[in-house]
Amino acid sequence: MNRIRILLFGTFFSFLTLAQAQNLEYQALVLPDTLTRHADAIVRQESMVVHIRNPFRMEIEMERAVTVLNGKGDAHALAMVSYNKSRKVGYISAAAYDALGRETQKYKQRDFRDLSAVDGGTLYSDARRLYLDYTPVSYPYTLVVRYTLEDANTAPLPNWYFLSGYRVSTQESRFELRYDSPELRPDFQESHLEGYAIEKESFHNGFRYVGRNLPAIRDESLSPPFTEVAPSVMLRPRRFGYEGIDGEVDTWQDIGKWMHQHMLDGRDALPEATKQKVRTLVQDTRDTLERARRVYRFVQENTRYISVQVGIGGIRPISAIEVDRVKYGDCKGLSNYTKALLDAVGVTAYYVHVEAGQVKSDFKPDFADLAQGNHVILAIPYQGQLHWIDCTSQTIPFGFLGDFTDDRLVHVIDPEGGYLVRTPQYKDEANGQVTEARVRLDAEGTLAGSVEVRTSGIQYDSHYAIQDLKPDDQVAIYRRRWGYLENLQLEDLRFKNDTDSVRFTETLTLKATNYWKKAGNRILLTANAFNRLRYVPDRYRDRTLPFQVLRGYQDREHYQIELPEGYKPEAIPGPVAIESPFGSYRMEVQYLPEEHILEYKREALVREGRYDAEQYEAYRDFHRQVARAESAQAVLIQTQESK
Amino acid sequence: MRNLLIVLTLLAATAMQAQDVKFGKVDDALVALKAHPADSSVVASVVHRSVYVYYKYVEGDGFHQYRDVHERIKIYTKDGYDYATVSESLYHNGGDREGISSVKGITYNMVGGKVEEDKLKKSDQFDEKVNAYYDRLKFTMPNVREGSVIEYEYTVHSPFAYSIDEIPMQYDIPIEHQRVRVEIPEFIVFKPRYKGYLMLQPEFGKRSGKINLVYNTNDYQYEAGNFRTAAVDYEINTITYDMKDVPALEQEPYVNDMDNYRSAVNYELLYVQYPDSPRENFSTSWDQVVERIYQNDNFGYQLNRTNYFKKSLESLLSPEMGPIDKLAAVFFHVQQRMNWNGLYGYITDQGVRKAYDQQTGNVGDINLMLVAMLREAGLDARPVLISTRDHGIPSMPTQEGFNYVIAQVVLDQGYVLMDATSKYTKPNLLPVRALNWFGRSISEDGSSSSLSVFPSAPSKELHFVQMDMQPDGSISGKMRSQYTDYRAYTYRNRYGTLSEEEYLEDYENRRKGMEVGTLERKNLGAIGKPVMEVLDFTLEDGIGVVADNIYLNPLMFFTMAENPFKREAREYPVDFAYPWQEKMNISINLPEGYQVSSLPESVAMGLPEDIGSFSYHVGQQGNTLQLVVELNINKAVVPSTYYQSLRELYKNVVQKESEQVVLTKIGSDGDQKRTTGGR
Repeated sequence: MNRIRILLFGTFFSFLTLAQAQNLEYQALVLPDTLTRHADAIVRQESMVVHIRNPFRMEIEMERAVTVLNGKGDAHALAMVSYNKSRKVGYISAAAYDALGRETQKYKQRDFRDLSAVDGGTLYSDARRLYLDYTPVSYPYTLVVRYTLEDANTAPLPNWYFLSGYRVSTQESRFELRYDSPELRPDFQESHLEGYAIEKESFHNGFRYVGRNLPAIRDESLSPPFTEVAPSVMLRPRRFGYEGIDGEVDTWQDIGKWMHQHMLDGRDALPEATKQKVRTLVQDTRDTLERARRVYRFVQENTRYISVQVGIGGIRPISAIEVDRVKYGDCKGLSNYTKALLDAVGVTAYYVHVEAGQVKSDFKPDFADLAQGNHVILAIPYQGQLHWIDCTSQTIPFGFLGDFTDDRLVHVIDPEGGYLVRTPQYKDEANGQVTEARVRLDAEGTLAGSVEVRTSGIQYDSHYAIQDLKPDDQVAIYRRRWGYLENLQLEDLRFKNDTDSVRFTETLTLKATNYWKKAGNRILLTANAFNRLRYVPDRYRDRTLPFQVLRGYQDREHYQIELPEGYKPEAIPGPVAIESPFGSYRMEVQYLPEEHILEYKREALVREGRYDAEQYEAYRDFHRQVARAESAQAVLIQTQESK
Repeated sequence: MRNLLIVLTLLAATAMQAQDVKFGKVDDALVALKAHPADSSVVASVVHRSVYVYYKYVEGDGFHQYRDVHERIKIYTKDGYDYATVSESLYHNGGDREGISSVKGITYNMVGGKVEEDKLKKSDQFDEKVNAYYDRLKFTMPNVREGSVIEYEYTVHSPFAYSIDEIPMQYDIPIEHQRVRVEIPEFIVFKPRYKGYLMLQPEFGKRSGKINLVYNTNDYQYEAGNFRTAAVDYEINTITYDMKDVPALEQEPYVNDMDNYRSAVNYELLYVQYPDSPRENFSTSWDQVVERIYQNDNFGYQLNRTNYFKKSLESLLSPEMGPIDKLAAVFFHVQQRMNWNGLYGYITDQGVRKAYDQQTGNVGDINLMLVAMLREAGLDARPVLISTRDHGIPSMPTQEGFNYVIAQVVLDQGYVLMDATSKYTKPNLLPVRALNWFGRSISEDGSSSSLSVFPSAPSKELHFVQMDMQPDGSISGKMRSQYTDYRAYTYRNRYGTLSEEEYLEDYENRRKGMEVGTLERKNLGAIGKPVMEVLDFTLEDGIGVVADNIYLNPLMFFTMAENPFKREAREYPVDFAYPWQEKMNISINLPEGYQVSSLPESVAMGLPEDIGSFSYHVGQQGNTLQLVVELNINKAVVPSTYYQSLRELYKNVVQKESEQVVLTKIGSDGDQKRTTGGR
């Protein structure tokens, strides 16, 4: 029997009949343009009431109704709540409504799935979540969730975002905070409320914000993280309880003192044998920095990153003695352990809270709050300067932070409580890549020769890991990096990792076929063989958000390409020079007749910066000009008629 | 009748662990080793692994299953640290739950010429509640460094005697020696199902077992003096896999799911037969598998329920409709009404009636309902059992080999396959997840037959482009594109929910340099028809103009810039999921005053056994260039034996598509000049 092909005519629709039981509040057939434009979902009504009873009891009442317009909006209507041993769910329910506002489903607590909230890098955590597995029946639909929470911790306090993300609008958003006594009154900080219909009302022992009809913000490439453009109110407690411990803080120094007293003090004891071991390691040097380097190397060689989060473990490191036994820990445990080892050899180091991530995020100087920061590193004072180490990496060089913790305000916690300070910045030229190549192109189109790539700064960070890969995977990386090189063969791959100066050098010899485009008796040859800057930012018909270039870089090329015999240049690319506020570009190609060599020199600089939406087109134009110059081709023509 | 109390004691199974490898006895030389002797790139390797599955009779509850695991792993580099973390999932259902016991672990390190041991403590182990059915025990070994040898063992106890978890035979790191032994009492009969590319050579054997039964001859059970003992002898079937130097499973691109290729053994229950009891069959032949599935209340019975949809069906059908119209009407009704909850399964989850009411269900709910409705409409409709792409290939008759069901309608002209769980499929177009070799079709009388689910007709992507070129190299043009079958399915999945503005931006950013003026899309919601696009465009940075010459890649943004097949060799098949054709029909009006001085040659090439072909045809008519470029892949899955040919074909495609047309200004010479930028 054969499978047949059939033709179908048209599609079929089933028509809904109108029923009585409907909640017009949630109807989604007629919605104002201001709410649907650029929106995948609309928060119809959201309200959170936070009631701080005492430092060890906070009650939260939440209600959230979200109309989802299409599949991409599903994530914004998730009925999910996180809890743990200190934070208990009192009550939870949900209901789904169709486009007409009719209730289609009701869910009780037992309909929610109870899941462990462990993520990839974590061995164990007592964090859990209740989650409703809802399958949308049609769009638009509305999902309403209601729950109450009781929390034995009053730090951190919830922050309130009047918009829940890019591409979500808000019809009504209420946030209310109450406290039973004046000392429980938190500080708050408003951001980006201007231009939105958001009202604040204060009353005895509390306040309330109400926002209405807030349009969605469209996400655009290179735009700042949503939290930096969204209207929000941040809260921080002055008086709080955390896992049974009282706290009263105002400044960063207060937080540092509290950390020291309750979370760090007494957790730095080490077995005598371990102390002896590190002392032996450093016995031949008195230099503080050299001692620190050796201890750091010892930690890198002997420990690994494994995170275990139980209760207070969210802020307090596991003891140094425990890390010494198992030789693993999370950022807190490994940093605290390293700090204790450094102490054993007479080197002072400070525990540092930082908000880590590729996107740079500052601690707020005038808004000290325990909630800021998601990572711990160490700072070592030496000759009036701080040297930084991240104890969770087994490979990163001493004193180098990379794009995970660079250029941001962090909290250095010394025994007096400490202060905020900015971590080192890797600016523009500091992030360099120099490529030098001497290659030969033969008449069959095969390109062969040697290449050297030297990287520094943030570019070091994205290159040095290749040395630890398996040979197969190393080759795969070059095949991807130079995807346009056909049949790429690599030989004699060598790496030099200079961790003192933080420079990485790759040297290799390579061979690739078909490195030209044929056009009759002519050959077209792209002069930039090994580092084509072809990136052009996405085009927007109507760019609305500011944009940022998070980190600058400088790439320099110097290639000598020996040309095939029997061909001579017919045309070679002319020099290009571009100057712009976003960077600069200079390219030059020369033919050296004695050696029959095409020499390519190019220097490209892209600057980091924050820019307005109006400048986006100019930025895009800069990259377009660069991309065009990067694809410049030389034309070679055959010198003999038949060969 | 005499009241019989059976108290059972168990004869200890003779130790079947491998002879030479004892927990806690590790060679100093192994700990001292700095790199893998054969391959220095190995990050870690399993020096020894033993898995021992066996049964014990448990008083009052019958046979229970046990699994002893012992692994000894040498860690060479930091990238091997992941293998120091162990996670074991434990299932529970109702009061029955799997348990883990006797967890022991030791890390060995060479410190100053001496081996030091660190023991895994109870406090290093974490019990985690994953969800309503699974718990998990997790631990990571203490004091792991480069060079450490780690070793752990534990026993998993399971009251679920009739189900043996899949036993992987291959890891992402090499296994130097492994011994997997499975011992099953003669009463429970399984059939092994092998997966992967390794040759497994089981050794079959038998040994005897004995159950001591204690009878109480008295009605008052615990009164002393009335016990009698008796022994039941039985046979135990043993299967042993003893393997040396099992290679690591290497990741390769363009594979649907690497785990499909991981060697492993599954045990599937055939039947259970206790002494003096009737045999309880589970599966042996295809017919029996099908019969058992059919008997399941969540399968066969669901096909017979019709009341819940009767009304809707009446309104869908009219007497003048032919079979194909009926089939389409029913299919689109179910597709539109039902919303897949993401769960697989050939049996229903909540039952067809409830699913129909709530408009949501699993695969079984939706497609069995579809079959029932098609039958009610008077068509010869059949459920087809299949195994999804991530579930492996069902080569042996077993229930577990299937995990999905679709619908088939048999017509005079042939048959039509349907799956209503996706919003973008149509009759004879299954979602990609369901395209996996063959399925088992079950007719109403219960007989079954095998059929191919791979689509045979190619899915097409066709582009007709007409361009005008100006002397300055700028280009404007019109393009008409058509996407059929799976190309349309993919298109709708990817772009179906984008607004026109968003789609345009996405389009331009996919085809850098192109600016689209107007765009018209048709049939986006008309699933039965191809998706059509008509647009006009200009090219920002089209061509290289070098004084008197214009260098033009006539394929423009359609050029395949890179060969996707970068590896020199390949072990696994190349999985395209469906046959396809990409065809570009391009005509370019050249600027006045230029003549063609060089054109690429036209070529055509094919793969063996008609697996695929490429053709590039270029011609000139007056001032117009005509190009027809066509790439065909005619097989859904290309065996790895043809990998070299396929890679070579793609290499030729990349090379050909990079070739340039040279236009020369009429009446110019050819001196050295400076080029401006260009492609």
